[in-house]
Order: sequence, then structure tokens, then C-alpha cells
Amino acid sequence: MADPALPGAATLIRVVAGSTFREAVRSRTFLGLLIIFAVCVGLSRIVGWVSSTDGNIVTTDLVMSLQAIIGVLVAVATGTALVQSEITNKTLYTVISRPIARWQFVVGKYLGLAAGLALGQAAMLAIGLAYLAATGAEVHRWLLLAGLLTLVEVLVMAAVSLCWTALSSPLLAAVLGLATWFCGHAVTSLPELIHHLKGWQLVVAAGLASLVPNLGQFAYRNQAVYQLPLGWADLAQRLGYGALWIALLVTLTVVVFRRKHL
Amino acid sequence: MDAVITFQGVSFTYRGNWLQRISALKRVDLDVPAGSAFGFLGANGAGKSTSIKLLTGLLHGHCGRVALFGSELAGSDADRRLRARLGYLPEHPFFYDNLRVDEYLAYLARLSGLSAGGITAACERVYQLLDLGDLRRRMLRSFSKGMRQRFGLAQAIIHQPDLLVLDEPFSGLDPLWRARFREVMALERGRGATLFFSSHILSDVEDLCDRYAVIDHGSVLEQGRIADLLGQAPMILTGSGPAPAGAADAGGGEWRLPFPEGEREARLAALPPGARILRLERQKVALEDWFVARIRATHGAGVKLGDMSHG
Repeated sequence: MADPALPGAATLIRVVAGSTFREAVRSRTFLGLLIIFAVCVGLSRIVGWVSSTDGNIVTTDLVMSLQAIIGVLVAVATGTALVQSEITNKTLYTVISRPIARWQFVVGKYLGLAAGLALGQAAMLAIGLAYLAATGAEVHRWLLLAGLLTLVEVLVMAAVSLCWTALSSPLLAAVLGLATWFCGHAVTSLPELIHHLKGWQLVVAAGLASLVPNLGQFAYRNQAVYQLPLGWADLAQRLGYGALWIALLVTLTVVVFRRKHL
Repeated sequence: MDAVITFQGVSFTYRGNWLQRISALKRVDLDVPAGSAFGFLGANGAGKSTSIKLLTGLLHGHCGRVALFGSELAGSDADRRLRARLGYLPEHPFFYDNLRVDEYLAYLARLSGLSAGGITAACERVYQLLDLGDLRRRMLRSFSKGMRQRFGLAQAIIHQPDLLVLDEPFSGLDPLWRARFREVMALERGRGATLFFSSHILSDVEDLCDRYAVIDHGSVLEQGRIADLLGQAPMILTGSGPAPAGAADAGGGEWRLPFPEGEREARLAALPPGARILRLERQKVALEDWFVARIRATHGAGVKLGDMSHG
């Protein structure tokens, strides 16, 4: 047979992403977590009833937080399994032996997972907002913006988990992924914690903080519940910040994966 | 004939715990001629899969030269063009559970460079060859081991590669499907593809291959033509009546006497009066028996079929 015309990088990445997306959204975990989210959203009304403050505000806050928590858990679980399970199950043998570069495989896998996570987040947001509307809570555009920023947080966490799994075992990667999530939110309060530091202590503290993504950038949900506005420039800056972290983490994963023995 | 696969002084070391190094291949030299069916024999852990993984780009960082179709694998993007001409069936293949047969085949065919139109025709071809047509809408999670193996071969040949690398292709197959796999491999070879496969079922290697190599503890012990190997088997003289010295009883009043090339006249002269020659034939020795004897004589001077004691 003559040399076939090889598909370009964009085609290969799209093909891998498409297959990963199909595989992800058909998994039972995906459907199961949507059901768990729907059940939790239903139960959130009870908290609203027993709350001393405005029940609708509490329910809205809970629905938006649930979307973030379940989204992050799914991102950590699937991000850690994304490439590592392919190595363990040897499913990548028939893929990597084809004319595809390893970086194209990793990027395609991440984009496919990102698409699956985006669909999941959209479904959760739709369920949550439909429930809020049905129960008389106010549904406004700030909630949609909060949902969008939560999606970025989830995508950053998927990239964090993917990167950790390239450097360690899946279990350790999941633990480190969740630890990164806690640190990423703690970094938001760092200026208040380190304002008394000076000199090298301040440099070290700031340096360490820069090693984890500041996930507080994406936690707009609490403000959104009270309809506190978010400017376009601010939104663009947060989206850009998330995209930069994703690019950095996926690049790190590629560097490690290129050298990995399969 | 040009070599499709070339290993020249190839060594490969795995990293073990801490500073431990595990030497999987030690200065391996191997040549697989174009158009041949090459059986790669070795016990578990001998280095077969490591060699195959170096070929397929799953491992890198070796010493020596590994070449496909005459071009050295450099571990760079340039290798992609070479890998496009290769089809690979891994040992115990696993596939994504939540993809259908038709989706999965289309996915892998697209990665191999087939166009959308070409994929439909290629899928129909492998459906027919491996009876997968009725299963095309099934998810792979519902497949048995044998069905996975069929799917594995289908994905390996879907882009009609010039080189088929098959790691234990007959594993998990019933006799009917083993026969079908042999037919499919013969068809692929008839199309011009080179077959390179490892197998523990040596009768399949004997039936299919014209060349072989034996690897043990990371070193190639020997390689050559199967016909030459089997041609080393000694001639056996079968007769009846009084048995000459050194003959073994073959039952039914017959005896059998080894009849080596250089001693034929002496053996004939030593036949006792009344002895009757019935036939002279080459001893039937299974490749499997030879292989076991060869490996047992690890790193010794090669075992010839004539050295084997059984008849």
C-alpha cells in the first residue's frame, strides 16, 4: 500500500476528543452524578425552609454550590483516570501505535473530557435553574455567569488532576487534586493572612501561593446569588486566568507523558 | 528482499525500584524480510513484548538501531509516517467499554489516515472477514474474550497496513476462530503485507510462518527459515525382521533406526541378514518440542533437531 496521507494535528485531536466525549457521557458515573445532583437539589429546599434568612436565597446558594462541588468531584475522578486508566487498561496501545503524536493524544483526551464536563455542568445548571424557577426563586443572568465561572473552575481542576496523575499514581493524584482544590480556595484569603509578613517571608509565601491556581477567581456564585454585578473586563480576566492555568497544566502533562514508558 | 523490521544491537533497560535496572533486551539483532511471515518465539518475559513495544512506539529510549521499512525510528514526529503503515494487535487487547464496534473502528481508521469514504468500505471489509457485521452496533463492554480478539484483529487490518504486528493473536480463540484467523492472515499476506507475530501456540507458527527467531532472556538465540529448521530433522529408516544394533522397537514387528547423512553406507552394511527395509523418511518433530529443547539449552550451542531424543 502506498504511504497514506496523514491527517493533520487538528484532525487527530478532534478525532480523539470526539471519541473521549462519547465515552465520557455514556459512562454510568456521568449519569449517576447527574441523578445525585438532582436529588441533592430537591433536598436543598428543606434547608431553605428551616433557614432563618430568605429561603429562596439559601436554596439558590446551595444549588450553585452543589453544581461546583459535584462538578469538581467529577473533574478530579475523571481527570485522574483519563490517561492513567488508558495505561492500566492498555486501551491506548491501539491508539498510540498509530500515526498520532503523544501530545496530540493528551490534548485530544483533555478536550474530549472538557466537552463532557461542560455538558454535565450545563445539564446541572439547567436542572438547578429549572428547579429554582419552579420553586419561585428568582432566576437571573448573574446565575448563568456564576455557572460559567464554575465550569472554568471544573476545567482547571480536571487539568490539575490530569497533571498530578502524570506525576503519581491515580489514588495519590486524586488526593493531591482535592488538596490543590482546598489550597486554591485558601489562596484567595492569602493577602489577609500574609499582610504582616515582610522581606523573604513575604516572597516565599507569595511564591508558594503562585504554585496553585487561585480558584477564588471562579467562585463568583455567592455574589451572584445576591445579584452583585460582574463587569465584562473582570469576567474576561478570570476566563483568561483559567485558560492560562489549563494550558500550563496540560503542557506539563504532555512533557511528562512524552517520556513515559507504556 | 528488503527488511521491513531491523534491529541492530538493540538494548533496552527498564527502570525498577530506585536505582535498580532491568535489562529486557541485550544487543538484539533481527531482520524481518518484506513479504515474510515471521514467528517470534520466546517464553514469558523473554523480551517479545518489549521488542514489539519498541516497534510500535510504546517504548523509547533504547540503544542501537530500530528501523521500520528501512528508516530508523527516531522517536520524533517523522516516525508517524512509518507507523501509518503498521497494524498492531496487542496481547489481551482492551478497548473502551462505551463505544460501539462501528464507532471504534471508524475512530481508529481515522487516526490511521483513512478518509470518511474509505472508512465505510474498510469497515465493511473487516466486518465480512471477521463476522462482525451483526455486532457493529454493540458496545464493546458486552464482548467476550474471543470477540474482543476478533475486534482486535479487525482494528489492526482496517487500514490495510504493510506490516502486521500481532502479539499472541490466537489467545482466547476457539479452534474455528483460530482457523479463520489463519485464513485472514493468509489473505493479508497475499495482499502483500508482512506478518510479524509472537505466539505460544507453536503449531500455528509452524503452519503460518516461513521464518522465525527465538528470543530468550533478552537475547536472540537464533533466527532463520522454518523450512531449514525442520529440514534439520534426522532421516529414520523403518524396517522389519531382525533388528540391527541401535534400532528401536516401533511395534508390529517393525523397528526404527536413525539414518544420519554421513553414516548411511555403514548403517546399511550393518543390517543383519533377513532385515527388510520398509521406508526411509524424515523424522516428524514438532516446532514446539524443538522450542522447548532449545530454551532448556539456554545460551548453549544451538540444539539441532537431530540432537533430540524422541522419535
